[in-house]
Amino acid sequence: MPDNKYRFPLFLAALALASSVFADDDPRHERHELMESVGEAAKPVGEMLKGEAEFDADTLLQSLNVWKDVGGQFGGLFPEGSETGMGTEAAPAIWEDRAGFEKALAKWQAAVDGAIEAGPDSLEAAKPVIGPVFEACKGCHDNYRIAEE
Amino acid sequence: MLRIVRASALLIGALVLVSWWLTRPQALTADDLPQHEPDSVAGQAVFWAGGCASCHASPVEGKRAKGEAKLRLGGGAELDTGYGVFRVPNISPHETAGIGGWSMLEFVNAMQRGVSPRGRHYYPSFPYTSYARMKIEDVMDLKAFLDTLPAVEGGAGDHGLAFPWNIRRGIGLWKRRYLTQQNIVELDSVEPAVRRGQALVEGAGHCGECHTPRDRFGGMLADRWLGGAPNPEGRGRVPNITPGGKNLADWSQSDISFYLESGFTPDFDTAGGSMVAVQENMAQLTKSDRDAIAAYLKSIPAIE
Ligand code: HEC
Ligand code: HEC
Ligand code: HEC
Repeated sequence: MPDNKYRFPLFLAALALASSVFADDDPRHERHELMESVGEAAKPVGEMLKGEAEFDADTLLQSLNVWKDVGGQFGGLFPEGSETGMGTEAAPAIWEDRAGFEKALAKWQAAVDGAIEAGPDSLEAAKPVIGPVFEACKGCHDNYRIAEE
Repeated sequence: MLRIVRASALLIGALVLVSWWLTRPQALTADDLPQHEPDSVAGQAVFWAGGCASCHASPVEGKRAKGEAKLRLGGGAELDTGYGVFRVPNISPHETAGIGGWSMLEFVNAMQRGVSPRGRHYYPSFPYTSYARMKIEDVMDLKAFLDTLPAVEGGAGDHGLAFPWNIRRGIGLWKRRYLTQQNIVELDSVEPAVRRGQALVEGAGHCGECHTPRDRFGGMLADRWLGGAPNPEGRGRVPNITPGGKNLADWSQSDISFYLESGFTPDFDTAGGSMVAVQENMAQLTKSDRDAIAAYLKSIPAIE
């Protein structure tokens, strides 16, 4: 049992540590959360493409809008000084080749916009406009994201 | 005294003879080739299953070849391993720079016995220990396909290996221990899909080369088959893809098949590292072959 009088400072220290690790406004945290939401939004679309779920235009549009929203914010979340730490999986190439990273992001945004504009109403119509969106995910990950583990 | 000298000279002589015998390349002869009309269309599927482009396609501006460039097999990529640097040779149909002048028998011996046309051993960084399990007919089809590809000039330099790895003859002993045409896993299932998956994974697909840990001589540990291994590229680990794997335990058969087709995990994260090139090759297979690989991965013993 630690002495009671140490408890409060210990608690404060733990709180400070926790909030620095989980700080919502840290760009490393924010971009990670955003990408998680991008992945979540991809799941129902993947199920449709795999034939595990019925095609549903509204669900697809919802996911596309999540991606459009993230696409608008993502580029601003890589300031100098956030290259490492907090388990970030952003690759050093983002800072070494910013123009290439912006291009990969723009390609994804264009594909998402294209799919929204096309407004496909069937799986057959959706496949050719979703394909480039997913290709653009991989195009960015291949160069600007470190593989896990 | 003289007797001892004579005896040891004899002993050394015998040892040299035995090791010469043990390390001699063991090649197939023309009689071992079956009657088979090589089919380049079938060979194309073997090419993607075998992942030849991942190592032999010439890099473009220092980067991994993509798209059409994967069919330009001029070599030149460098494989940085614990033993030194391997420089991947030109296997395009160029008469002098590539393997355009090779006979069918020479090609089969390289692919399945690890023996060069001049009778030398290849290093197992060329994954012939896996290709040895392929059907000879598939290897013959593969050559027919390679013959249709563009001839590419130029070649790679010599490997940068330190002693004793730079002595090819020593590979002969290694091969005696590790080169076999036997299946790795004894399967209970006789389902054709699982069998097909076994042929693809243990043979042409050479999945074990990365996913299986090795003993200290660099041979794969059969009892840890596909159980995950240190990453030869240095960072992190190549994951366990048996039913005991951290991720694979939760992946359904169709999740695995979809990953091989699209490069996306069930969480819609993407395949990374050296798996990207493998996945791009798998995407060229038929869906039924990808399903077969998934069925096999679900049937093998779980490694914890
Ligand atoms: C412009 C570049 C870029 C694009 C486009 C992109 N990503 Fe990402 N993604 C990243 C980066 C960088 C990370 C690593 C984030 C981190 O952990 O800091 C990441 C991480 C992820 C993760 C892992 C999140 C986690 O929990 O660790 C998932 C899942 C993901 N992306 C899915 C997608 C999908 C699906 C798409 C397309 C619909 C996509 N990404 C498009 C750059 C991109
Ligand atoms: C993991 C990388 C890798 C893969 C995959 C690979 N090779 Fe190779 N290959 C090599 C290396 C390295 C050598 C050189 C070996 C040596 O010098 O001992 C080689 C050598 C060869 C040779 C001998 C060339 C010569 O000039 O003597 C042939 C033929 C060959 N590979 C064909 C193939 C084919 C066909 C495939 C696909 C089925 C393939 N390789 C897949 C790495 C690879
Ligand atoms: C050149 C090395 C290499 C070869 C050959 C290889 N893999 Fe992989 N594989 C990897 C790496 C590295 C990863 C981890 C990828 C990542 O971090 O996203 C991986 C990941 C995977 C995964 C996902 C596992 C997970 O937990 O995320 C599956 C499934 C897989 N490989 C199957 C195969 C199959 C099937 C083959 C044979 C056709 C194969 N691999 C051949 C290197 C390889």
